[in-house]
Amino acid sequence: MKNIMMPEPHEILSVLKETQAEYTFRVACDSKPLHGQFFMLSIPKIGEAPISVSGKGPGYVEFTIRKVGRLTEGVFGLKAGDTMFMRGPYGNAFPVEQFENKNLLVITGGTGLAPVRTLINHFYDHPEICKSVYLISGFKDVDAVLFTDDIRRFKDKFHMTATLDNTAAPGFETGLVTEHIKKIPFPSFDDFNVVVVGPPVMMHFAARELIANGVDESKIWVSFERKMSCAVGKCGHCKINETYVCLEGPVFNYVKAKELLD
Amino acid sequence: MNARSFYLDLMENREKLYRFLSSIYQKEVDRALLTQMKAMTFPSEAEAPSLTEGYRMLKDYLDQIDERKARIPEDEVTDLAADYAKIFLAAGISQGSAAFPYESVYTSPERIIMQDAWETVRKLYESVGLIKNVETSGLFEDHIALELEFMAFLCEESHRDPDCSDWLIKQREFLRDHLLNWVPSFTADVNQYADTAFYKGIAKITEGFLRFDKEILAGISAPFDEERIENQNEVGETAFSLNPENMDQILQELKKEYRIFAPKRYEKRGAKSSSDLIRYGEINSVQEIVHESQSDFSPKEIYYPITQTMIRFQENQSIEEPSADSRGVLIFARPCDINGIKRLDNIFLENGGHGDIYYERLRDKVRFIMMECGGGWDDCFCVSMGTNKTEDYSMAIRFDQKNLLVSVKDQAFDPYFSGEKSNEFTDENTKVTPENVDFTPQFVTSNKKKVRLPKIQNRQQLKKASDLEFWKEFDEQCIGCGGCSAVCGTCSCFDTVDIIYDETSSDGERRRVWSSCMLDTYTMTAGGSRFRKTPGANMRFKTLHKVYDYNLRFGDEEHMCVGCGRCDRRCPKEISFFDIICRLSEELEYRNRKVER
Repeated sequence: MKNIMMPEPHEILSVLKETQAEYTFRVACDSKPLHGQFFMLSIPKIGEAPISVSGKGPGYVEFTIRKVGRLTEGVFGLKAGDTMFMRGPYGNAFPVEQFENKNLLVITGGTGLAPVRTLINHFYDHPEICKSVYLISGFKDVDAVLFTDDIRRFKDKFHMTATLDNTAAPGFETGLVTEHIKKIPFPSFDDFNVVVVGPPVMMHFAARELIANGVDESKIWVSFERKMSCAVGKCGHCKINETYVCLEGPVFNYVKAKELLD
Repeated sequence: MNARSFYLDLMENREKLYRFLSSIYQKEVDRALLTQMKAMTFPSEAEAPSLTEGYRMLKDYLDQIDERKARIPEDEVTDLAADYAKIFLAAGISQGSAAFPYESVYTSPERIIMQDAWETVRKLYESVGLIKNVETSGLFEDHIALELEFMAFLCEESHRDPDCSDWLIKQREFLRDHLLNWVPSFTADVNQYADTAFYKGIAKITEGFLRFDKEILAGISAPFDEERIENQNEVGETAFSLNPENMDQILQELKKEYRIFAPKRYEKRGAKSSSDLIRYGEINSVQEIVHESQSDFSPKEIYYPITQTMIRFQENQSIEEPSADSRGVLIFARPCDINGIKRLDNIFLENGGHGDIYYERLRDKVRFIMMECGGGWDDCFCVSMGTNKTEDYSMAIRFDQKNLLVSVKDQAFDPYFSGEKSNEFTDENTKVTPENVDFTPQFVTSNKKKVRLPKIQNRQQLKKASDLEFWKEFDEQCIGCGGCSAVCGTCSCFDTVDIIYDETSSDGERRRVWSSCMLDTYTMTAGGSRFRKTPGANMRFKTLHKVYDYNLRFGDEEHMCVGCGRCDRRCPKEISFFDIICRLSEELEYRNRKVER
């Protein structure tokens, strides 16, 4: 019988500093996670935490981890050549086929850009399978901006709005992501989907704003972050009502997501 | 009424109900059937709780269709047709999730139609000379409508030929091997995907009836066949009367292959310094067993340890921690606690489709000696929770005045009582001499405390239950110590903790330790955000998990609370979970009544 709790050692290929607090770890790995899936990473001396895949390529996956308190601190002592223990991928994924040949709007708040980065790259690499991509990425301030190169790159092919909560900086707009939703030309789309990923409050207000702009709930997709100690439906931490985020999520259609009462 | 006519009536009534249910699943309900159903009377108190609830839901639904109109409004028929399409055909659902009414879907790993189950039932139908009729020709043979129809056919044959028990045996087998094997999961899905109380009610009735029918079939024999059944009973369970010394000798033999656990007294180790603690521990003698009161802790810690090393990390390798002991585990436990383990089984072995190896390897070794429960204790309410009975035990024991009565159900244990395994005792005077007696373990049938479970039928009502003001009372009362989860036989949540052996290397181990949703850090992510921030919110989460969510997910008329009442006694703030369930039910009923007015 397979031991579903057993992590395997993987080599860290490189560590890239994204911001003062965020680093991207590239880890050797042959499995091919779907867009939106996550792994359980072993944080040295602490334990495991669910981390979304923020990038992938032949023979590697990437994780962007934020340095917050002691829980993730241990991971920042790791460098290229060290071992990362991990298991996965887990969870469901964004229904990419359903997004194809339609318009797509992606709204992210802060580190919420990480779990949708592979999805956005998928359409960046295959512009022919998507009618148009709109991207609204909000950050607290200029120091918190993630994936700066990507944002520059995305501007070439997508309708990209990068915005800072309440400060100004070159190349950025100012204001919360919700304030930019009304600029999206929904009436000109024949069929579209919206992906919203970020802190719970941001997802809540973004969804509300979308609905106020006439977007049908069933077109909105969100991804939930919850505490998990197992990711396989045993530890109980991620359960909301009868739903286990690790099993049925982390990606939910908003029709379901709005019913989940923590 | 003589046995024969009772038997004939029973077969006829069962056939009718099977045909009725079959017709509901066969296709969308039409106006004629709906009109016919409106005229039907449903029992307000059926033999099984879910059957009663199903009948009530269906009746409520039918009653709300406008009384004055002679004809059922077209809307009603259309609504039901839409719901039928949504539930069973996945119409309009983006992810294709639905309750597909085929056994194959529920029993094949890939969840697709026309698998092994379809083959098997097709052959079964053929073996009794059945071919599909025109009406159902569009359905595969393992469709629920056809399986129910097959049961109806078998009932009809039993009725036609009451002297032949073969038809009865076929019914028992078909129910066990097919319908009950998948329909409970299916009806749970129906309940999840249905929008109308009509189909939710039908799902309840179906599940309740099948389970109840299993009991009916277990208790009945073809009138002609009674003699044979009686003979069968004689080779069933054997029971013995022993004195404690004899039993201890048997325990000594058993201890060669099993570790034996029972509730024991630990003096002056209780919650208060002067009180004793009663919890599970290994025993050497039946004299150590505390049977006159309930243990403070459930037996959970035996098969799901409080803390358990899972993995060792050594020089960049992860190594699975081996089992500590290869012996079996024999546990003296009451029916509520034996039922409790079924809940842990669901979480650790079933949920997510993968078993947890650490739980499974211990669980496989567990056998129960069911302690007959006298009359229950002041705080328990197992009858309300349906956990007063169990069949899952190897032996049952009654602590009589002086002697012990033991019923041996699992034949693997027969040799210990027949003397075969006690030959090694050389002293003739102490040789085991169990005496054959007539002993059938009895179950509690009534508790002092009775609880009504909250009636939550849809998401709106769940929202209402979540938003109740009274949860906030616990912000003050509950201190979030998690003691309730520690004594609970079904609380299964855990944290993982990594330990390093010294600061200079990363060698160490990963342990699993019990957690509790009542702890304020339970939902805290690495980023520090919490999704439930107050003791009141935690109490709401726990309560709904215990009496609603789990049941919604796993069905089977099972709840995460087995009504043992331990948490009520454990709580340092004297919060009673029993009172919370009652209060929740009352608040919801009160609010629902207000809406009706």
